[in-house]
Amino acid sequence: MVNIPDEHPDQPNNSVHRWLEIAVPLFSFGGAFIAILFPMLGISLDFHVPALGCVLASCSLTYLAWIRPRKDIVALTTPLYSVIFFTFPIDYSTAIVLQVFYAVSLTILLVRLKYRFGNPGTAASLGKELGGSLKTYIEQTRDAFSDISPETAHSAAVVFVRFTEGEYDDAAQSSKSVLGDGEYPDSVSPLIRAFGIIREHTTLLHKSLPRPVTYLTFSEKDSHLLVKPQVPSHDDDMEFYTALDNALLLVYSAAWNNSVQDRPHLLSCQAFAQKLMSST
Amino acid sequence: MKIGNVDVKVSIISIVVFVFFTIFLFLASVFSPEVRSQLIWLIPMLFMLLVIPSALNYMSRSHYADIEPVYDAQAKKIRIKLINEGMVGKPVRVEGVVERVHFKFLNRPQYRVADRSGEISVKMFTSTDEDVKVNDVVEVIGQVIRRYIVAGDPVINCVSIRKIKKS
Repeated sequence: MVNIPDEHPDQPNNSVHRWLEIAVPLFSFGGAFIAILFPMLGISLDFHVPALGCVLASCSLTYLAWIRPRKDIVALTTPLYSVIFFTFPIDYSTAIVLQVFYAVSLTILLVRLKYRFGNPGTAASLGKELGGSLKTYIEQTRDAFSDISPETAHSAAVVFVRFTEGEYDDAAQSSKSVLGDGEYPDSVSPLIRAFGIIREHTTLLHKSLPRPVTYLTFSEKDSHLLVKPQVPSHDDDMEFYTALDNALLLVYSAAWNNSVQDRPHLLSCQAFAQKLMSST
Repeated sequence: MKIGNVDVKVSIISIVVFVFFTIFLFLASVFSPEVRSQLIWLIPMLFMLLVIPSALNYMSRSHYADIEPVYDAQAKKIRIKLINEGMVGKPVRVEGVVERVHFKFLNRPQYRVADRSGEISVKMFTSTDEDVKVNDVVEVIGQVIRRYIVAGDPVINCVSIRKIKKS
């Protein structure tokens, strides 16, 4: 089994995100504070000026919601409400109360966003570059796929992408086209086995058939390339599906390392590959 | 209430609204002669508060009844873990346990269904044939969509949810 450290992808814009999080209560309550303070000092102020704080705070909150993989539709729509609340003429004292309530609401939404909608997405989680444990796995298995042909690597990419899209019959056919050649050195035999496992699973998935009594798995000598340990178990379902996860990740790695032109397609499927990596 | 083969269900919220305005209209007509003179059109309008949701429910449920065999034929049985953004638009069939139920009172139930491989949100835009509760084992047939149409994680737009084993 490949030894993959438990990686936490970097958050390159962490400090920017922190400042934007601070900006939400700072701008909204700051605007309300100015709206209260200026009349007390005898300075006349158009209400729209301090209300701008709430609009800016809403925009910060929206940006923080947008960069998360899980979207919070309430936080995303706050600028709309800020414009509706604060652009129309309103009595000054009523507007101060409205602004204070709005600032409290934005702060609650910020806390909710942080605790219920996860961390901001990274370039990897947004599908712009390879990252996390998947990247480590691909780098660790690069040498194992050094001698496969570009055609096989392309077929590997096609199989993975078609599988991700739920086009199981296409994936089965593409796997079959690779398995038909049968002229590969021993070093790539785990890849051939992976194609065989995927073909078996995709054929079953296409016909909505249950797990067969006997099924293909990786051999003991392939274990150094597998993400998940392929240990014999009393739980046949677990063994059966673990073989598929390992096969798909092996095929992904082979495609990434040897078919550069297919990398944009593989990147678009990265979230699914990451899901396979992290799932039990 | 059954119309043809369709079992029409009015949501609790529609009934609450109807009852609220019935009481409001009754009190208003007792205290105001002007309201009494308008009862000839206010009472039919009041009943429209029940008729319109019932008609919408009938239309959506009869439409779902029409498309269910199509999805039943096309949907492939898969594990929840295999559902991903690349499958948006694909008909799928999953089996799992209902972990949470929301918005049944709106006739727009949302379920969280889990199998051994993962869990997924199942959204239905009309009422269900069966009363599905937490811990029921169900078969869901539907289409993979994004949670907010153009963004968000993949969820299942449910066409049919059936209990396959009692909890």
